[in-house]
Amino acid sequence: MNHKRKMISGLKKELLRLPGYMLVIIWVGFTFFMIGWIILASFSTTREIFTGNLLASGLHFSNYTKALVANKGLQNVINSVIYTVPSCCLTILVCAPAAYCISRFSFRGNGLIQKLILIGLAIPGIMIIMPLFSVFNTLKLSGTHFTLIFLYTATSVPYTTFFLMPFFAGISPTYEDAAAIDGCGPVRCFWHIMFPLVQPAIVTITIFNFISKWNEYFMALVFANKSGLRSIGVGLYQIVSSLMISGDYAGMFASVVIVFMPTVVIYAFLSDKIITGVTAGGVKG
Amino acid sequence: MKQTKRSIIVFLGPAVLLYVLVFFYPVLRTSMMSLFEMNNISSPVREWGFVGFDNYAKLLNTQLFRISMINIGKIWLFTGIATLGLAMLLALILTQGLKFQKFFRASVYLPNVIAAVAVGYMWLLFVFSKSKFGLLTSLFNFLGWEKMAQFQWLSGENLFLSMCIAYVFSNTGYFMMMYIAAMENISQDYYDSALIEGANIFQRFLYITLPLIKGVLGMSTVLWTTRTIGFFALAQVFSNTSTFTPMLYTYRTLFATEAGSESVNPGIAAASAVVMTLTAVIVSQSLKHLIRTENYEI
Repeated sequence: MNHKRKMISGLKKELLRLPGYMLVIIWVGFTFFMIGWIILASFSTTREIFTGNLLASGLHFSNYTKALVANKGLQNVINSVIYTVPSCCLTILVCAPAAYCISRFSFRGNGLIQKLILIGLAIPGIMIIMPLFSVFNTLKLSGTHFTLIFLYTATSVPYTTFFLMPFFAGISPTYEDAAAIDGCGPVRCFWHIMFPLVQPAIVTITIFNFISKWNEYFMALVFANKSGLRSIGVGLYQIVSSLMISGDYAGMFASVVIVFMPTVVIYAFLSDKIITGVTAGGVKG
Repeated sequence: MKQTKRSIIVFLGPAVLLYVLVFFYPVLRTSMMSLFEMNNISSPVREWGFVGFDNYAKLLNTQLFRISMINIGKIWLFTGIATLGLAMLLALILTQGLKFQKFFRASVYLPNVIAAVAVGYMWLLFVFSKSKFGLLTSLFNFLGWEKMAQFQWLSGENLFLSMCIAYVFSNTGYFMMMYIAAMENISQDYYDSALIEGANIFQRFLYITLPLIKGVLGMSTVLWTTRTIGFFALAQVFSNTSTFTPMLYTYRTLFATEAGSESVNPGIAAASAVVMTLTAVIVSQSLKHLIRTENYEI
């Protein structure tokens, strides 16, 4: 009897959740249908897309070879890798020591630096690009990959430092004491003892940084809108703008897939890490 | 442990240097630029001519800039309500212990990892397309809602609405994750005792959940403000006067790279950047203030 009542109340509970299930399923279903259809369309011919018979004549990999080679999609991907990978590493090299120092050393100006970090988080890109553009021009650095590597590193400093601080703050001071007794200097102590202790946080923020740099659009457009320098986003805008004229929908969809596939695949494997990277900033702040 | 000055400099030096180079100096120089007149963005300071607040006066009298400010205001308010509201609703649903909850959460967040330009084209080329394969057109045809199937998503006055829908879709997951994280910090004890007292689901939300996540709620409106002020990629993809945003206006005033762009004027672009930044700062500070005073009332 009791068991039966439990079952009924369980069923009632699920029924109450039905509207919730429906909304979520519609939302998620829409997302996957959109992505799935575009992937199928990217393997079809433009004619098949318009007649509604996706893949009727089999898989057309030629859309991709065209998008990657003739439309320089591959070069854009390589450029994006050149921009994001070094700047992700440099960001950690710069921010991990800074976060460690701010969260564990007491010195004059510490509070000011923490305030400046918060201000840095709120400065819009538009406010900083004009002087940087003229500086890069004067230094004859515009038209090189260096500009974006530098900018992606520097603009990541506030959030990365802010994100890493609580992780360093949570480590017991006995580690440093022991290291000092053994005659280990502060720099060595940091890289050999403290840095490995926060490794999970480093991995999380690096994945997060990678995705936001990979998807960055505005600075890439301002500093790298030249043939041979374009990142995936800027390249996609240029490719679609030109394919729109010829109406090559299959080519456009293939180009779109090339842009979103890398991050979607990374996300499929590392979604937990990416989500923590996002929520940490909001909740702790 | 020994905290020598030297090691502080070694640890902090590079970060401080980058901050000064990329935030401190540029913000000061952009503010200065906004008071001067110059030929192009790279003109050296000795060629600048002081004009005081003329750039601001000209800017505020420019029709296109005014349209763009009104647009960003609409995006901030209406799209903001839709995004944060949906994020809250989805967060509530996805903290009830649904089956496949983790998968659903991750899937709602998914559009956030896709580049904004790609999201823009997914909507523009497929969802809103008026060709037979367009997602909304074929969906409404399938359902037999002919009026809706005829709707011109991409024609003049509807383009803005369509762009906002795409923006809501790609931002909801981010704020949902934030709300979920906050909701999961609330102790289950509160809900248990409320259940014993006979509080229904709405009362539980209103009197327990909402007050306890107020801090995060406030944080999310501030984050929304700093995000929307940089609204750019979608505006460029949906390119049209009706979808113009201040960011796009500033970009085009700096670089006349595209057809239909205005004459290049870095002074005015700098003024526009300052106006945008100040707007964002004032709005987010008042939001912070508003939420703080409300907290005291409790």
